[in-house]
Amino acid sequence: MQSAPLPETLANLVGLDPNSTPVMIVMSLVGAALIGTLMMTNTALAGPWAKRKITAAFTDRIAVDRIGPYGLFIIVADAVRLLSKELIVPDGVDRPAWDLAPLVIASSALLGFAVIPMGSGIHLADPEVGLAYVFATASIASVGLVMAGYASNNKYSFLGGLRAVAQNVAYEIPLILTGASVVIFAGSLQMSEIVAAQQQALIGPIPSWYAFVNPFAFVLFMIANLAEVGRNPFDIPEAPTEIVAGYQTEYSSVYFVLIYLGEFIHIFLGGAIIATIFLGGPAGPGPASLGIVWFLVKIWGVFLFTQWARSAVPRVRIDQLIEIGWKGMLVLSLANLLLTAVIVGVIA
Amino acid sequence: MSLEKPTPDTATEVGVTEDGLDYDALADLLGGHVLDREEHVNAEGFVIRPDEVQEVLSTLKNEAGFDHCACVTAQEYDDRYESIYHLRKFDDPTQELSVVVPTTKDDPHSESAARVYDTADWHEREAYDLVGIDYDDHPDLRRILLPETWQGHPLSQDYNQDQPQIVTLRENANPLEEDHRSEDDPDTMFVNIGPHHPATHGVLHVKTVLDGEQIADIEPDIGYLHRCEEQMCQQGTYRHQIMPYPDRWDYVSAGILNEWAYARAAEDLADIEVPEYAQVIRTMSAELCRIAAHMLALGTFALDVFGDFTAIFQYAFRDREVVQNILEDLTGQRLMFNYLRLGGVAWDLPEPREEFFEKTRDFLDDLPHKLEEYHDLITGNEIFQMRCVDTGVLSEEMVKQYGATGPVARGSGVDYDLRRDDPYGYYDELDWNVVTEEGGDNFSRVLVRMREVEESARIIEQCVDLLEQWPEDEREIQANVPRTLRPDPDEEIYRAVEGAKGELGIYIRSDGTDKPARFKIRSPCFSNLQTLPEMSQGEYVPDMVASLGSLDIVLGEVDR
Repeated sequence: MQSAPLPETLANLVGLDPNSTPVMIVMSLVGAALIGTLMMTNTALAGPWAKRKITAAFTDRIAVDRIGPYGLFIIVADAVRLLSKELIVPDGVDRPAWDLAPLVIASSALLGFAVIPMGSGIHLADPEVGLAYVFATASIASVGLVMAGYASNNKYSFLGGLRAVAQNVAYEIPLILTGASVVIFAGSLQMSEIVAAQQQALIGPIPSWYAFVNPFAFVLFMIANLAEVGRNPFDIPEAPTEIVAGYQTEYSSVYFVLIYLGEFIHIFLGGAIIATIFLGGPAGPGPASLGIVWFLVKIWGVFLFTQWARSAVPRVRIDQLIEIGWKGMLVLSLANLLLTAVIVGVIA
Repeated sequence: MSLEKPTPDTATEVGVTEDGLDYDALADLLGGHVLDREEHVNAEGFVIRPDEVQEVLSTLKNEAGFDHCACVTAQEYDDRYESIYHLRKFDDPTQELSVVVPTTKDDPHSESAARVYDTADWHEREAYDLVGIDYDDHPDLRRILLPETWQGHPLSQDYNQDQPQIVTLRENANPLEEDHRSEDDPDTMFVNIGPHHPATHGVLHVKTVLDGEQIADIEPDIGYLHRCEEQMCQQGTYRHQIMPYPDRWDYVSAGILNEWAYARAAEDLADIEVPEYAQVIRTMSAELCRIAAHMLALGTFALDVFGDFTAIFQYAFRDREVVQNILEDLTGQRLMFNYLRLGGVAWDLPEPREEFFEKTRDFLDDLPHKLEEYHDLITGNEIFQMRCVDTGVLSEEMVKQYGATGPVARGSGVDYDLRRDDPYGYYDELDWNVVTEEGGDNFSRVLVRMREVEESARIIEQCVDLLEQWPEDEREIQANVPRTLRPDPDEEIYRAVEGAKGELGIYIRSDGTDKPARFKIRSPCFSNLQTLPEMSQGEYVPDMVASLGSLDIVLGEVDR
């Protein structure tokens, strides 16, 4: 199951020495480009097409079906449309922060995929602190949100930026604490180790994925993840009917695309983390080379879940959100962590 | 019968007798304040001095029980200005009294009633704006529908209606300009919510002062959709030219309900008897409209709380579509029905009748199941309850002070429904209930609307049965009405029906021609919207948005 990280494989593939540093630098960049392209392709599919189709199915509509089979070519049409729009720079925005924010939001989420084992040998790097690294990069997006909110010189953006920070602080702690309970099980922060620890059978045909070993932590993590990616019932930072579009109110054209790209990649990164630490990573029936397929199925499953929540669940109020975060999620995730530690300590 | 209203204790109210109001007793109560007594079609009018308005109105309110100031009509005669306060009682709206306040032509000053009835605040601002009467002691006498820089008062006699006026954004109160913090509290932030905002249901501008995310101060600014409806109606003939306009007040789906408001006022003014068969058709089509309007209210309210075009919004629209189709079969139109005529309706049910009945019955049969689905999706949802229960609370007292009516009043436990309390059409022959909820919060208002849909369905069902059994040779859809209607000069009438949003009233004064001399629309949304600051002070922005959604305003009707 555990194949060498991607750069090494690539180096071997083209017949270069995997021990030389320049070769590895080049191969790492190539690998990163491959993974980046893969995730961007996912996002291109999800943003203009899948999201519309899924929401439409939930809400009794048809959605795009005019261009191409199942309306798939809407992706091209949307790309042309969005990129050809005028980039409006409002008076009084705080540059360069205003210009950098979309880049920060979009790229920070992509960084996280570097350490995710996607199966079929697609695994860019496998540092010992993999999980900590993923959480760290995912959090950078908050900085982007504050930059966008603060630099836009718009009160709605400002409120949205503040809301984003309050929300991310309140929900990242439960998220990480719940993630830590998995680390206690696996005994390692290294992603490949966490995945490897989930490969034995639990009972009968059920694998020992941590979602089955500790469903409580899984549920907590799914909820905290909804808040982390800002989807209903926690889409407070954008909250269209309250603060127009929150931090992204003033963005148009390419910047708008970048922000949306960032949001979708963030959802997929959330899905990737969940797949890796709770759903056995790329594990699934069939040969190991099918790993990437199973991995994609899992992250799309998580994406489907966020769209479901978006279609059917009302939004909580900002004070209620903070209350749920600090008084509910934090306490529960601490209890989960303690309990896991005790149980693992007793068994081991 | 279920239509019985619990009899209120009116023994202490002056002028109440077994068979209605004793105007002599009321005149005695006011003594020397009454200068003259006029005979209006709906009630008597007491003429009083312009500097005794507050005294007279508080006496009438406190001692004679007139707790509902339905409307304030202002108009200009050749020799005077006149404000009319249409007073009624929430307990029994058939007990009406008009208080007529004439003022001189060269110095139109009249005492404000806003200290007695909070609702008079906006109504008098409108009177000042459009007609030009100055109200002394008014808390905030500014223009309300027109921009601050507008020249003249459009409904006054010396106003040049041919002179176009263009008010640029720069000249108007520029919403961008007030980009400052409140001076007395440096920790607050001023935010313009609207006129372009996803949650304002049209072009409503809410000037908001925020303290953090909580609302410190809020002021709705209306008039962006003012289309001179009253003035247009004054230029149309009674018989045919006015009827298309009501469809455009509450334009979302309540067309026939609005048409009925005009039809009722004009028919009573001109003494037209509507055939019973036509009344049944009117009742049925009006209730269909009410269902469509309430579905839309439900869907958009969910949109405000859920924050996106989510399942419940689409479901509500899907089901409203069925109603729209039935109405299209009946009237030929989907929104601007223009179906009612003075003295009847435009045409009979579509042939083949069985098909129409079947279609309507199918819809009614599916409805309970659909409502259950709505309850599962929204009222049963815990997050929804968290958001709506005990937010945007409006007390019974405030409802009456602001003259709020319709589902908003009934959601606060005010048992007031003109279909039962001031019967018209075929309502008093049918078996249905008036829905009230005690909570007064956003949740109660949603529940009221959902339960009213059920009651409307009951009414429609009975109407369909009636229509199906109606003998073929007695299907009279139109009374005999003269081609040109010329009601007697100087007749005045205020008549209201229960529109989708509440009491939709029309005041008409005739002058002997075939066009009204004064046509005043009492819009329920206008009065209901006035309660928004009361509901949202100190609450969070999302709750204000939810409250606004639960008021279910249509700006076309607010601004007219």
